[in-house]
Amino acid sequence: MKKYSLHISLIPALLLVMLWAPLTVTAMDTDDCLGCHGDTDMVDEELFIDAEGFLHTVHAEMGCDTCHESVTDEHPDDGEAITSSACLDCHEEVSDEYMATSHAENATCNDCHDPHQAHGLEAVSGTDMNQQCSQCHENDEVLSSHAEWLPQANLHLAKLPCITCHTSSDSYEVLLNITQKQSKTKGSTGYNFSTYADLKEYSGEKEIQSLIDINEDGHISLAELRTFNLNPAYKKLHLSGTLVPSEASHDLSTLDNRYDCTFCHAAGPGSLQTSFLAFPNATGTYTRMTVDEGAMLDTLYGTPNFYMTGSTRSASLNIIGLLIICGGFIMPIGHGTLRFLTRKNRQH
Amino acid sequence: MAETHTDETHKIYLQPIPVRIWHWLNAFGIVTLTVSGAQIRFPEYISILGSYKSAIYLHNTAGFVVAISFSLWFFYYTFVTRTMANLYVPKVEDLKSGILRQVKFYFLTYFLGWKNPHHPTPDNKFNPMQKSVYLAIMFVMMPLVSLSGIFLTNVDPLRGLIVMVGGLKLLAGLHFLLACSLIAFIPTHVYLATLGHTPTEHIKTMWTGWEDELEEEDHHETVNDNLATSR
Ligand code: HEC
Ligand code: HEC
Ligand code: HEC
Ligand code: HEC
Ligand code: HEC
Ligand code: HEC
Ligand code: HEC
Ligand code: HEM
Repeated sequence: MKKYSLHISLIPALLLVMLWAPLTVTAMDTDDCLGCHGDTDMVDEELFIDAEGFLHTVHAEMGCDTCHESVTDEHPDDGEAITSSACLDCHEEVSDEYMATSHAENATCNDCHDPHQAHGLEAVSGTDMNQQCSQCHENDEVLSSHAEWLPQANLHLAKLPCITCHTSSDSYEVLLNITQKQSKTKGSTGYNFSTYADLKEYSGEKEIQSLIDINEDGHISLAELRTFNLNPAYKKLHLSGTLVPSEASHDLSTLDNRYDCTFCHAAGPGSLQTSFLAFPNATGTYTRMTVDEGAMLDTLYGTPNFYMTGSTRSASLNIIGLLIICGGFIMPIGHGTLRFLTRKNRQH
Repeated sequence: MAETHTDETHKIYLQPIPVRIWHWLNAFGIVTLTVSGAQIRFPEYISILGSYKSAIYLHNTAGFVVAISFSLWFFYYTFVTRTMANLYVPKVEDLKSGILRQVKFYFLTYFLGWKNPHHPTPDNKFNPMQKSVYLAIMFVMMPLVSLSGIFLTNVDPLRGLIVMVGGLKLLAGLHFLLACSLIAFIPTHVYLATLGHTPTEHIKTMWTGWEDELEEEDHHETVNDNLATSR
């Protein structure tokens, strides 16, 4: 729904763009621009644009000159400065939301986003999102300030995207990523998200999705999850889970209810029912696939490495636990009754 | 009162101070762990301890206290009195006939008004049935529940080990089921503790350390029995 309204708001901008297009004096198209700007031999490091990455974004469909209107055929020889349109020309709604926060004074759109690598929420991993924040918010400082009130802050910050706690959303969903042990880098426990190439080593000829989505129906069932987790061939691969907002919002702030652990650590109605598995693409982005509802609540093999106390407990374990505890009352009740009935035998 | 009693009762010092400290720390600790653990697992239904965070902190602290008092217990019996093996590990005859004899007493002859065939002395405190149960609890369940708890308080640094063990979910499930078993032990344990000459006899002993030993005719046999086994 939000997307729909964004489209509507974009129509005038796009119309404007279409009107402008014939008026621009350039005959260069995106490929021409990338011929120089996608090659570090032609341009400086800071003018380099990762062509492969750019061409997979929705912005690529608009072409370079949509945003860099003033570029001429003589570029770069004319030495003219080139204009770059502002994000808010097209992203009015997001901009209004963000500009109203106090964080707008601290960071501009471009500080967090590279306009040439703009991706939607679903295509970005939590780690990559946090990378945006850690440009300014030193990991060590964030860790020590959060550790003041958050137990196992290292675990939480390693797992959760900052925006899960620092932006609002109507709903949240579980996101699973395939991780594997990689050479230990400083400050990490050695488990990192598997890349496309990593997974290709396992899947060979087939699509990497087929590692888990065995019947290739574009959906992951609980049975498929279990099979994956129990397959000895994939012993080195693990599914790690986290909680992400269902939609990206930009009201960057500190939300009071995030102090309340039961915002995440409680099994509310419907919570943790919706989950996705994010497969890496060759370009470094991710594509999500839906997972059976409630798979997170499976006793053991649905997601053996994802467990949030209070919210992912399994009902069958609860029943076994209850039976064990009831067993503890057999002696007092059974024996106690007989003891009471035979009390006369013990009166000397 | 006490003076008149000394003629016919003989008191023995059964529970030394370190053991009593351990026992009550442990008991209090486990009740705390049970209540806070219940809130951690079922936050929507249980909120006795206020916020979730305080339940977690309390649980972790109580777990720490229980683990320390467990070490006290272990250290005391292994290195100070050196009676650990003697007290807690069932002997061959315990397994062959002792357990059966004790089961027969609890489930049959007790109701007929017979005397307990086991007679506690500081060197042989537990009857064969107690020995086996305590062995399972103190040497298997307590260490495992503490270990899984320590893992759960350090998920990020111990991730590699947790994955090796079979995953966070398995670990939490194990912790939960072990906890349930320990909880189940409580009512049984407390109930059996009331089977002395008077319902509070054993419980008083755990508090004061002294147990009344009634000198009665029919005790000779068992006393000799104990002297034999404790040598
Ligand atoms: C022949 C190679 C070449 C082509 C083709 C080319 N550029 Fe450039 N571009 C350059 C060089 C070299 C510079 C650096 C110029 C300078 O520092 O004065 C530059 C600079 C820029 C800048 C930065 C200017 C500034 O003011 O900081 C932008 C934006 C830009 N180009 C966009 C484009 C776009 C859009 C296209 C396609 C329409 C394009 N370029 C095509 C070589 C090229
Ligand atoms: C969605 C709008 C948009 C599109 C499409 C776009 N750019 Fe840009 N570009 C910008 C903005 C905004 C900046 C200014 C970034 C800043 O100031 O940090 C910029 C900056 C640049 C720069 C300066 C160096 C840098 O990275 O900051 C170059 C070079 C450039 N663009 C080239 C291109 C080329 C080549 C294409 C097409 C392949 C392209 N741009 C497509 C918005 C766009
Ligand atoms: C000329 C119009 C235009 C400008 C200027 C523009 N965008 Fe976009 N942007 C679009 C369109 C169109 C889409 C696709 C709309 C959608 O996903 O609903 C889009 C989508 C996006 C996305 C989501 C990508 C996805 O795959 O869903 C991001 C992130 C984004 N833009 C960031 C920016 C940033 C940051 C800037 C400023 C540097 C900017 N845009 C400037 C037109 C523009
Ligand atoms: C403090 C960092 C930050 C700033 C500043 C910021 N964004 Fe974002 N934005 C994010 C994050 C994080 C996401 C979600 C991950 C992603 O898509 O990159 C996101 C997502 C988006 C999306 C995609 C939304 C979707 O539904 O997929 C758009 C469009 C966008 N931002 C536009 C903007 C615009 C326009 C501005 C400036 C007004 C802006 N952002 C400023 C961090 C920021
Ligand atoms: C360009 C630098 C920059 C980036 C990128 C950035 N921030 Fe900030 N942020 C700041 C500055 C500067 C402040 C104010 C000083 C402070 O509190 O550290 C701030 C403050 C904050 C605050 C405290 C605001 C308050 O109301 O108390 C939060 C929360 C925050 N940022 C979250 C984020 C998150 C989440 C991201 C990534 C999505 C992010 N920031 C990315 C610069 C940045
Ligand atoms: C579990 C939820 C949660 C997560 C995840 C989280 N934060 Fe926070 N953050 C909070 C809360 C709650 C506060 C307010 C703490 C306070 O006022 O003491 C806060 C405060 C802050 C502040 C302001 C206080 C300070 O440290 O200067 C910044 C900046 C910040 N967070 C950045 C981040 C960044 C960056 C990330 C991602 C690496 C992140 N946070 C992840 C909940 C979270
Ligand atoms: C934004 C959601 C969120 C909030 C808020 C949050 N947590 Fe967590 N918590 C998580 C996630 C995600 C994990 C990691 C699960 C995993 O590793 O599989 C986790 C793990 C934990 C663990 C480790 C045991 C376990 O379940 O794996 C503890 C303990 C914990 N959280 C306590 C707290 C406390 C106390 C608070 C409040 C101060 C809190 N959390 C707030 C999401 C959250
Ligand atoms: C040394 C002993 C123990 C330690 C260190 C320990 C630690 C932990 C930890 C770390 C957790 C996860 C939440 C948290 O961080 O607090 C947890 C959960 C729990 N603990 Fe313990 N614990 C111990 C003993 C016990 C005992 C004896 C019981 C009950 C008799 C118990 C019952 C529970 C329960 C029910 C949960 C919730 C489990 C779940 O959500 O699956 N714990 N414990």
